[in-house]
Amino acid sequence: MGNIKTMAKLELCNLYELNRFRFAREKKIKKKALFLMIGWLIVLAMMFFYIGVLSYAFIQIGIGDVIPSYLTALASLIIFFFGVLKAGNIIFRKNGYDILCSLPVPQSAIVISRFLRLYAEELGFAAAAMAPGLIVYGWMLRPGVSFYLVSILGILLIPLIPMALAVLIGALITAVSSRTKHKSLAATVLSIIAVLAITAGSFLFSSMGNSLTPEMLTELSLLVTGLLRRIYPPSIWMGTAIVRGDLFQWALCAGVFLAVSALILLLVSARFHWICQNLYGTFAKHNYRLEKLRRHSVISALCQREFKRYFSSSVYVTNTIVGPLMGTALCAVILFTGTGAMLTGPLASVFDSYGLAPFALAGIFCTMTTTATSISLEGKNWWIVKSLPLSAKSIMNAKILMNLLLMLPFYLVSEVLLILAFKPGIPDILWFFLIPAVIILFSCVYGLAVNLHFPVMDWENEASVVKQSLSATLGGMGGFILSILCIVAIVFLPREYVWVFKFGICILLTGATGILYRNICK
Amino acid sequence: MLTIQNLTKHYKGSNKGVTDISLHICPGDIYGFIGHNGAGKTTTLKCVAGIQDFDSGQIRINGTDIREHPLECKRSFAYIPDNPDLYEYLTGIQYLNFIADVFGVAAKEREERIKQYGDAFEITSSLGDLISSYSHGMKQKLAIISALVHRPKLLLLDEPFVGLDPKASVILKEIMRNICAEGGAIFFSTHVLDVAEKLCDKVAIIKDGVLVASGDMEQIVQPGQSLESIFMEVVSDGKH
Repeated sequence: MGNIKTMAKLELCNLYELNRFRFAREKKIKKKALFLMIGWLIVLAMMFFYIGVLSYAFIQIGIGDVIPSYLTALASLIIFFFGVLKAGNIIFRKNGYDILCSLPVPQSAIVISRFLRLYAEELGFAAAAMAPGLIVYGWMLRPGVSFYLVSILGILLIPLIPMALAVLIGALITAVSSRTKHKSLAATVLSIIAVLAITAGSFLFSSMGNSLTPEMLTELSLLVTGLLRRIYPPSIWMGTAIVRGDLFQWALCAGVFLAVSALILLLVSARFHWICQNLYGTFAKHNYRLEKLRRHSVISALCQREFKRYFSSSVYVTNTIVGPLMGTALCAVILFTGTGAMLTGPLASVFDSYGLAPFALAGIFCTMTTTATSISLEGKNWWIVKSLPLSAKSIMNAKILMNLLLMLPFYLVSEVLLILAFKPGIPDILWFFLIPAVIILFSCVYGLAVNLHFPVMDWENEASVVKQSLSATLGGMGGFILSILCIVAIVFLPREYVWVFKFGICILLTGATGILYRNICK
Repeated sequence: MLTIQNLTKHYKGSNKGVTDISLHICPGDIYGFIGHNGAGKTTTLKCVAGIQDFDSGQIRINGTDIREHPLECKRSFAYIPDNPDLYEYLTGIQYLNFIADVFGVAAKEREERIKQYGDAFEITSSLGDLISSYSHGMKQKLAIISALVHRPKLLLLDEPFVGLDPKASVILKEIMRNICAEGGAIFFSTHVLDVAEKLCDKVAIIKDGVLVASGDMEQIVQPGQSLESIFMEVVSDGKH
């Protein structure tokens, strides 16, 4: 127990870079941490607003009691989804492994301490997701004191099961990939399959509502509860405990949640050393014979290096390729099943008549650009390009080109699928191609500009740059947010001005891209 | 070849850095740069390599100001840091090819040079492996080969002998002498005072960011003295 406490202290002391913020003397680091905090506060405020309004609506339509279960399921699903992408990276982190293994510390202590770090990170998210809903519930329905007590205790349990399951999947992916020669590639493919499976699974489960009986449809509360039970049964147990303020039921939940987590951690601890050894082992043939070498242009050499860097990191690939993959898959679904399968009612007709599809496609493609973290991911290698006779323009061009080339096949396939699905006229075909292209180009350049302002070069783990850095939050989603704003603007615009808006946005974004590009190349 | 005039660089919020450093390195010089840990050797080398900006002063390489024409300057030198953090996701040969592409080295020439230095440092057979599988010494050898593949006029080396096996150290010293014999120059930092004394014709000693001695080795180290004794005397007392 003492070992776990010591190891956990080590893991938690720099949670959210707090230790660096506490002891850093450079004002620059403190300033960056402040910006990061402001960024997170904005996200938190948006979450509070969205969940608060949603909870208010639930109470207004008479299904207020579903709020705790609904939010538990929502928070758990999000924690699980993003946990799968980073759990393997954090549990089997190479940094410091040799030193830790040489210490008289059991492997289970290392695994548990790293799990606690993940838990602490996700606990903040669970609290942020649950709090607004519970506050609205408490304010409007005036429950007893036990509601608040069980709510607080319940929040402490929520991250356990999704995090433990994410660790299990992460460990399986790492274990399988660690036995292959191309570990990173194998981990990337397996992670993408896992993410797509989770997305498809949650979509399938949530669409099972069609098979419910008409009697159940009259009871909206039953409908939602039934749906949550299918997706994640523990959310119902936890929700019921909170609504009733039932400490005994909470204790039962705690028993189940802790038992599941302990079992998974036990399994992972048993194979921890074996996985790490396979993972950190390297293949070296020592049989190279000098062959004919080819000369490449500077931009080609830099771009090749960017691609090699990109595919060397599974967490980098999985975080940035999911958007284009989902976008293409969505276009295929629209083509083969019609928009009705994805959108229903007035939304489908708005989509058809206003040609919002190119904006939606651009938004999905730009959920996370590679450029937003490409400077940070240079890390300790930054000295190489800095000391070489390379202009800033060459370096930036290579990073932008790599992002564009990566998206190109997805973009072309998606465009063809969309055009076949919507059968637009000739002028609209132009918008179909032009709008995503302009937004994608803008988001690549914008991501790079943000990363240049907020670089993190002394990272310990790639996941901290790709998933948690300010640059990833602000820069990676530029195109996504822009697309949503454009969609909202078009929906509210009179129809005859839509083409003017589209034309204007293309001109505006091209200009903004040009200005940003000039700035980053200085 | 390299002129450093009144170089001053201080890190914000810290009293570390260098103050008013002036050095002149001529073609044919092997210039050693010695000092205790944190004295400012790496800071000076990074400023010269264009990696780090500086507060005041001037750095000229072949008469060209590094701040005004960084690319022109960088084309004429090669820099190796104290810790060779190379692209671990590339193989050795891919890394060398990348550097050769950046410097526009013709295919035939790069093949010859990679073979020459790869064989000399005995890592040719490992060039097809990922850099992540290399030991510290092998990474250092690869960094040295990458620095030599474009035949720079000036070599900036930060602790180049750390991690090298004795044979590789001898080869590197030989290469350094050859470069200087052909009119090139070398500016390198080291903690190994014996090596500095035997290899360098000029030496500079830095203490707490200030240059306390510099000049020809014969002038600094008088007959009957050693560089080690001079160094100990200088860093404890001040100017020599």
